[in-house]
Amino acid sequence: MNATSTTLEPILDFLARTLTTAETTFNKLPGSAVIQRYVKSSHQNDPGRTILELILFIFAVRTLLQSRTRADKNFIQFSDKEVDELVDEWTPEPLAQSLTPQEENDLAAVPIISGPNGPKPKLASTGKTAVNLASYNFTGLSGNEEIKERAVEVLRKYGLGSCGPPGFYGTLDVHMELERDIADFLGTEAAILYSQGFSTISSVIPAFCKRGDIIVADRGVNFAIQKGIQISRSTVRWFDHNDLKSLEEVLESVEKERKKRRGPLTRRFIVTEGIFEKDGAMVDLPKLIDIKFKHKYRLVLDESISFGTVGRTGRGLTELYNVPASKVDMLIGSVANGLNSCGGFCAGSQIVVNHQRINGLSFVFSASMPALLSVAASEGINILRNAPSILATLQENTQAARAILDRLDCITIPSHPASPIIHIHVRNTKSSLHPATAATIVPSTKPSNPTSIMPKDAASWDWDIPAEEKLLQDVVDEALVQGVIITKAKRLRGQEMVDARPSIRLAMTSALTKKETEKAVNVVKSALVKVLGKRR
Amino acid sequence: MTPLPSSPMALTKPPSASFLKKRKSQTLSSPMPSAASYLSALSQADARARNQNNTGRSPTSTPALSLSSSVTSSSEDTVLYEDDREFDNVDGLALPARPPTSEQVFTTVHTEFGHCADERYRYTSAHVPDSEVPAHVEKDPPYYILFSTYISYLILICLGHVRDFVGKRLHPSSYSHLIPKDTCYCEALRYCGSSVLLPTTLLPFTRLFPKYPGLYTNQGNFSSQGYAPLNSDFDSFYTRRLKTRLDECFSQPVTGVAGRTIVLLDRISPDYNHTQILTGNRTRALNISSYNYLGFAQARGGCADAVEESIKRYGISSCGTRLTGGSNDLHVIGEALVAKFVGVEDALISSMGFATNSTIIPALVGKGCLVISDELNHASIRFGVRLSGAHVRMFRHNDMKSLESLLRECISQGQPKTHRPWKKILLIVEGLYSMEGTLANLPAILELKKKYKFYLFVDEAHSIGALGPHGRGVADYFNIDPRSIDILMGTFTKSFGAAGGYIAGSKALIDRLRVHGHSGAYAEAMTPAVLTQVIASMASIMGVGLPSMGPSSSTTTLRLSSSSSTANGNAIEEEYSHPGPAPPSSSRLRRLAFNSRYLHNGLNKLGFITYGHPASPIVPLLLFNPGKMNMFHRMMKDRQTPIVVVVVAYPATPLVTSRVRFCVSAAHTKEDVDTVLRACDEVGDVLDLKHGLERGKRWSVDMICERAVEVAAM
Repeated sequence: MNATSTTLEPILDFLARTLTTAETTFNKLPGSAVIQRYVKSSHQNDPGRTILELILFIFAVRTLLQSRTRADKNFIQFSDKEVDELVDEWTPEPLAQSLTPQEENDLAAVPIISGPNGPKPKLASTGKTAVNLASYNFTGLSGNEEIKERAVEVLRKYGLGSCGPPGFYGTLDVHMELERDIADFLGTEAAILYSQGFSTISSVIPAFCKRGDIIVADRGVNFAIQKGIQISRSTVRWFDHNDLKSLEEVLESVEKERKKRRGPLTRRFIVTEGIFEKDGAMVDLPKLIDIKFKHKYRLVLDESISFGTVGRTGRGLTELYNVPASKVDMLIGSVANGLNSCGGFCAGSQIVVNHQRINGLSFVFSASMPALLSVAASEGINILRNAPSILATLQENTQAARAILDRLDCITIPSHPASPIIHIHVRNTKSSLHPATAATIVPSTKPSNPTSIMPKDAASWDWDIPAEEKLLQDVVDEALVQGVIITKAKRLRGQEMVDARPSIRLAMTSALTKKETEKAVNVVKSALVKVLGKRR
Repeated sequence: MTPLPSSPMALTKPPSASFLKKRKSQTLSSPMPSAASYLSALSQADARARNQNNTGRSPTSTPALSLSSSVTSSSEDTVLYEDDREFDNVDGLALPARPPTSEQVFTTVHTEFGHCADERYRYTSAHVPDSEVPAHVEKDPPYYILFSTYISYLILICLGHVRDFVGKRLHPSSYSHLIPKDTCYCEALRYCGSSVLLPTTLLPFTRLFPKYPGLYTNQGNFSSQGYAPLNSDFDSFYTRRLKTRLDECFSQPVTGVAGRTIVLLDRISPDYNHTQILTGNRTRALNISSYNYLGFAQARGGCADAVEESIKRYGISSCGTRLTGGSNDLHVIGEALVAKFVGVEDALISSMGFATNSTIIPALVGKGCLVISDELNHASIRFGVRLSGAHVRMFRHNDMKSLESLLRECISQGQPKTHRPWKKILLIVEGLYSMEGTLANLPAILELKKKYKFYLFVDEAHSIGALGPHGRGVADYFNIDPRSIDILMGTFTKSFGAAGGYIAGSKALIDRLRVHGHSGAYAEAMTPAVLTQVIASMASIMGVGLPSMGPSSSTTTLRLSSSSSTANGNAIEEEYSHPGPAPPSSSRLRRLAFNSRYLHNGLNKLGFITYGHPASPIVPLLLFNPGKMNMFHRMMKDRQTPIVVVVVAYPATPLVTSRVRFCVSAAHTKEDVDTVLRACDEVGDVLDLKHGLERGKRWSVDMICERAVEVAAM
């Protein structure tokens, strides 16, 4: 007995001491008196409540400490041995399937230019020069000597790379100058420069459009826009390709839906392209602007193809239709295509631009553009400003090409007559139409479903993609033999939201004279006739 | 004899091969034959060198091709300083601390690439075999620092809300972009003047309660609702109320070469950083911020000469995408060289570093695949993974145990809900993490890879060129066969002073990415000038025609052929020292390795808390308190020798661990690192930053500078 009490004594002693220290420290804490009083009074009034509160307190602590990741009910508990077995059993698919023969052929047929690219480059495969209707050299700036000279000057002052993202000592004065030049050229408040044209819009869209916002987009938008929309996680509604009536209908239905749900006012955007990369169609900008103001949407306009190629001095669609560029909220253009340098830009108000300087992912997290490319683009703007004849030549060449191609029976051209890129589809022969589908091709009056990107007539699309691809590749090869480089429009089949119809894409350039263009397009024409004629 | 590396696209096709043979005999005017012969010369020299090494003889570099050795344009390189308007050396940046002696050939502009002849200040970046790879340790500061950090953020947030509340009522015009507004209202204000459509008496009221403009504008043709704000004030709170205070440290406009020094365009802000005004003055500052690891950001020297030739010959643009008329011979050469450099079968070049990840990852994985990603992976990787539609899981930064348990869980559980096995698992890690300076624990990952059969994607954006005895990235550092890694990605922005990125791997994989990656079909191809910089700088690291720099390379200065048209092909056709076991002669790599270790260990010895691996050229120094970021930045910039630093805070880092990030370069001299250490020592004392070591264990800054070699070897 005594022995146990002597061993217990120090423990009890210790307990008592800890209790008193705990009490004194608790009393020292500010506000402890309040808690004490509260607990005392509540316990006095209702002892059961103390227990309930204690349980609640414990429950709250438990919930807080519980890991939130293992909430998955589907989780199956395995023993270590079982996991090992499962790991052993698991065989992954190969990382990359090899290419199909067709893809391999296409890759091998990609033209590689030896030396400078331009209107008449030398091909690496044959060593012969050929006329180039494939590369984007719309205004012929690629071989410009003035630009080269300026670029060398800049190289000797700035080196090549900027070695840093814009936020961290990567903002050069020449970048700021180019941004100003673009803004002045277009007539917007400001502009922001991205270092790759393709990544520009897929970064601009998610900078503004967040979950819950509404994007109304054209069904024919290019791949970069599709990716931007995908990453923004906004609610998307689609309108028929280049059909502004359909756009209005969709906008009305969106508004109706919002009123029905009494949702809050969210940001709403119309996303479309100036000249569509996929088929060269051109949007009716004044009407689009009217609709946008009427329905209070913001307009995101991708002018990657139209900037630097249409309008009197190449300012793009806004110049062509004489609409102030400031009415377009976000005007995206490609410095690479339009000014023959590299990169892209987004022009708009000061607020729009500043917002992207912090939220434009590929702006913030990427190194800025090399100085000499930036200056080359500024110089390009200068040249376009001062020599409207360049754009006139480009237009003339486009018209000349269309005059030849439009007369052909075996093809269809979806592109706008003023578009410097000309897409050529194979015209469906009657025999290729399945009798069953031919009957249903009567245009249905039912509007298409705005939540799906598939057009209403998608079911009646009967083109045979592999066969047409092959046919068009034969045309490309045939033209190359005759000394004209052309290319199919390359598509990422399977990754695009809608598979575009195979086409040949001609890119016009002002670096060729009208005669040369006509001669080259005639070669294309005869290649088309030869290959497509065989088909019948 | 090593076979000719399988070169991409047309080079492998039989017709073009015969064309090459035919052309070779004709003329050198086309770089195509020179590219092919260059590659075969490479492999021959490589084989020779390996044989020699096996037999124990010292590897003597044999001239691969006999070329006219007329040194054309390096005469200008001996200029010591740029023709600045007012040249003085008050800041000690324009002239080397130790002038070169008459024997030493000094061939770079000191402000771009520092002159450092002392051979003691060199080190080889390599992993010590059989030693542990240090895990990422987060050294904790004393509690009062943590506490004050949290309190500062709390105060900032409270103050911000108070300012928002008051500001919205007193200056609604500066908040107009944050509140819903009506179009007609705005249009009216903009085009018609404020008094035409709205009674002027009402205007003050609309300003008083800007949240409800509808209240005042629902008469006539004004409908009651308009545009939602472009960004909600909640989303932009951090930007407006916290980042604005630091704006002085960000987006500083600069001019000139981002080399050893950089020229700042001075700016002031009269309104607490809301607007920045350029004063027109310039300040030259020591640049320890740019990603210029190997110092190739140069406006003079071999690479720049090659680029000049290339601009003259190829023009600016490559006009179009890779698959539709934008490919030229330089792409083919560049890709073959990159593949050779990285040590794999084939490579693909993309015109933007960010886009390399964001456009290629979707072509690798898709639905039903799992991506396991380090929690600190770069935004571009996250962007790409999100686009791919694959399922993503993250593991703790560089924590191999966390990775293994995650792998076990994922493989055993299979896909969520269906429990079907994953199609494939892709592990994405970075070689060198840009905010922490940690190295991926590649040896451990490869062990796991054997067992768990995942595919490995290593993003070497920062490590390529900067790590390893041959500068070939993290695999080289750990002496691992690069072919054991499935996909190697890297950028040219950092070590090579160019732009863009690459993906390297097996031929089948790369060919697939050429066709199925987004960039091949849709993104513009890399421009010839950038390609040339890549080729020239990479060849220089490989020891193929080293651009003139430093005394050790004076014997192998880049010799551009006298005929200008062949410059691009020939810039790389030079003497070749093999990439085998012996360390290459490139002093750039060894200078960078020394500087990195010296700064990292020096800061530690001074008592600072740093993160990361000592071999990493990225050295983060922890500041914690948000207020210290501004102060540190300013105090470094306002010194007699101005130093520009990068401060990073939330959201790039966790909230508490705000830091300064130094990026060391081969262009820095030992004296430059001394300067940085001295500055940090003084600033650190003022700002109370030395919490890494107890007072007794710290070294004085003089002691560190004196015993630099010892410090670096620690």
